[in-house]
Parts: sequence; structure tokens; C-alpha cells
Amino acid sequence: MRTIQWTVEYGTGMLMLDQPPSNTMTMDFFREMKVIMDEITAGQDLKAVIIFGNGRHYSSGADISELLQHVDQQVMLENYRAFAQLEHLDIPVISAIRGVCLGSAFELALFSHFRICSTDAVLGLPESSFNLIPGIGGIQRVAKLAGMAKAIEITLRGNTFPAAEALAMGLVDIVVPKGQVLDLAITFARVLPWNTDKVNRQFYLHKYLNQLHATAS
Amino acid sequence: MENPDSITFQVQDSIGIITLDFPPGNYIQVPGFIPLQFLEQWLGSESIKGLIITGQGKNFSAGGNLERIFEGAGDLASISQLVEEGITLLNRIQDLDIPVIAAISRVCFGGGLEIALACHMRVAAENALLAFPEVNQNLMPGMGGTYRLPYLVGLPDAVKMMLGGDMLNAVDGQKLGLIDYIAPKDQAFEFSMDLMQKMTHDRPLKVIKSIMKSLKNSRVMSREEAMAEETRLFCSLAMDEAERRKSEELA
Repeated sequence: MRTIQWTVEYGTGMLMLDQPPSNTMTMDFFREMKVIMDEITAGQDLKAVIIFGNGRHYSSGADISELLQHVDQQVMLENYRAFAQLEHLDIPVISAIRGVCLGSAFELALFSHFRICSTDAVLGLPESSFNLIPGIGGIQRVAKLAGMAKAIEITLRGNTFPAAEALAMGLVDIVVPKGQVLDLAITFARVLPWNTDKVNRQFYLHKYLNQLHATAS
Repeated sequence: MENPDSITFQVQDSIGIITLDFPPGNYIQVPGFIPLQFLEQWLGSESIKGLIITGQGKNFSAGGNLERIFEGAGDLASISQLVEEGITLLNRIQDLDIPVIAAISRVCFGGGLEIALACHMRVAAENALLAFPEVNQNLMPGMGGTYRLPYLVGLPDAVKMMLGGDMLNAVDGQKLGLIDYIAPKDQAFEFSMDLMQKMTHDRPLKVIKSIMKSLKNSRVMSREEAMAEETRLFCSLAMDEAERRKSEELA
């Protein structure tokens, strides 16, 4: 793998986006993502998956100029399916978001079951400002999480927004200082029950995540 | 074509503005208050990037003119026809592939609230009041409100609003999820115009329509169908953009 570091620590799959400084998502990244997803769904014995970026940022999103040279609907659909597979896993998938999380990277985070975000994170779907639209399911996810009005506003304006605003819109679940983001994700992954499909996610979210946050700070 | 009664249409900076124009209450004269051919003609222009529905004067709308409904009493077919026209019109507005904002000032009751619910975004002035008072006349919301309201606020609060007939203010409306943005007192239109410009001013119409179509698909299609359509729209825009960048390099 050249763009992702995939390791398993104590039963938790650690998926690190690894093209610093901004962990841009290239064609290679999407290919490698599919390989990892196939590995996980083929039954690798995991309790949780944590997605995060190497260094200061989660990821600045897709490499637009590369993408424009290889426009292919089939590839786009496969990219979407790789992301959507995450959501369908019966183990919790947690995105630990620090720094920038834009475009396709935000779409990836939106397919996680939980989004733990640093206070200084910057999020958004800026595709419309490049005369494009979010193309990997972000539109659908934002509509579901934040409602139609906010979905229209953020996708059309293409503006970036801070973590606090994302929290208010329901697009992330909790905001903590950046030094605590990854630790909180790891601790959370370990206390979560095996199969989140069988539990009420909101219940665990409020009960454990806020408790953990209270003890962490 | 002569414009329909008590409704005016104008275009300002590429934004279409439909005004419910029968002050002070801006009562909706018939459920199908805009004949569809007018709507299509008004919005047919390729330059219109968004639509704002607003009320003339202080109020949005105090609701439907019930006299017209009661005039038809005894004739179920003609009442059904009137209501059907209203439902078709509001469905058409909800399905538009440009953003539609309801700019709600002060009174927004009954049929007025039905119109606001069919819009994609609801901006209410802080002194706005919202209600479905139909129950007080032994009626019910009849233009899709019973379907749209629970989608936005959940079933318990929808039941409470429609059976209680009580008024809500803008802040309570926002807490319920009925109102998306609160504007200063009597500034709903100005706020809506500003929001609409921020969303559409720098955007080509094709981008706007692609996003609105994808959002609509999220409501009416399975995820897999919606994604097939979304990636198709994406690729079409990407081809355009690749072409544009190429010709820019050559120039």
C-alpha cells in the first residue's frame, strides 16, 4: 500500500490516510481502499475500524486534476461502493477528524458510523466551487444527517465550516481538543459492543462518548 | 397569458420571486393558486437560478380562502378537483431542480404553511407565527401537509400541531425542525435573498440543477439508484470542467 497504512491493533483496524501533508485522495488511494474493504468484508476478525489522517490533517479530498483526466462513471460508482461498504459493516467505524476534512474526504467520514472531530478541524464539500458536485454519496448522507435545507446550503455554497458548526448541523458527533481525538476514538472503539446494528447507536453515543469526553478533559 | 389572481412574479438578479399578493392576509384564493403553465413559463428561462416565495406586506399568508371550498359544499367531485390542483402544484414546486426558499414573515397559517412546507428551505422572521388551524374549522391540512410535516418534525409534534391547531413562533418552529433559518424581525425576504445569492451567484445552472436533482433523488430513490444518477451527473460536469480547463490552457 502506498497511500494507506492499514494495521490492526488489539482487534481494531487502523486505517491511516497516508499521503502527507494533506493526504490527498488519488486514484491509487481509491484502488487501495477497495482492496482493504474487500479484506475487511471477507471476514477479517475485527472489533472496530478507525479512520484518520497521517499528520495534522484528515485529508483535503480528491486530487481534482488527476480525477478530471480519468472521468469514468463506473470507477466513481465503485469508489462509492467502497465507502458505502464501511457503513454496512457490522462493527463500528469511527472517523477521527483533525485538521482539514474536505470533499471526498468528508464523504468518507460521512460513511463512518461516528465522527469524532477536533476543535480546529475544517470541514466542507467545496466541489461546487470547482463546477462539480460531491460524487461519492456525500449529498445523500448530508441530506439524511442535516436535513434538506442545510444540505442545499453547504453543497451549493461549497463553503468550509469549523467543527462547532458541523456539530450544530449534526454532521459530526463530538468535538474535542485535537490532542484527544485519536485517543478518544481508540478508547471508544474498545468499549463499543461488537455489533452496533443490534444496539441503539444514539444511546451509546450519548452514554459513552460524552462520559469519555468528560473524563478525558 | 394574464397573471393569476393575487399572485405576482418577478425576477431579481437571476432569482425568481413569487409574491402572494392579496394583502393584508394574502389569502390563497384557490388551492392551485398558480396554474402550472404559469409556473413553467415563469421558471422556463435558463437564467433563473433559484426561487423565493414571499408574501406582500407584513404577512406570508393567513391560509386558504375557505369560502371557495365551502361554496362547493355538496359537490365532492368539484372540491376534490380543487384540492387535487393544489397538491399537484405544491408537488411540482417541491420537485423543482432549483432551490426554493419560503421567506416567512409574521402570519403563516394553514394553506400558507402548506406552501412553505413544499419549499426546500424555510426562513422565518423572528416575529413569524406558524400554525395549522384547519382543525378549528373541522377540516385538516389538505395539500400535503399531513405528509410533509411529520417528515420534518416527527410524528408526535406533527400530531400535536395538526390536532391542537396551536400557533408556534419562529424559535419554537426552529427547535422542531420546521424552520431552517431565523431572520431579524420583518427581514425574512432580505435574509432569503442574501442566502440565495450566496448559494447560487457564482454557480453555473448545471451545477445547481445537478445538486438539486441528487438531493431530490435522496428523497425518492433507493440509495443505489440515486448513486447511479449522481455519478452520471458528476461525470457529465467533470467532462465539461476538463474541457474548460483544456481550452483555458490553449488560450
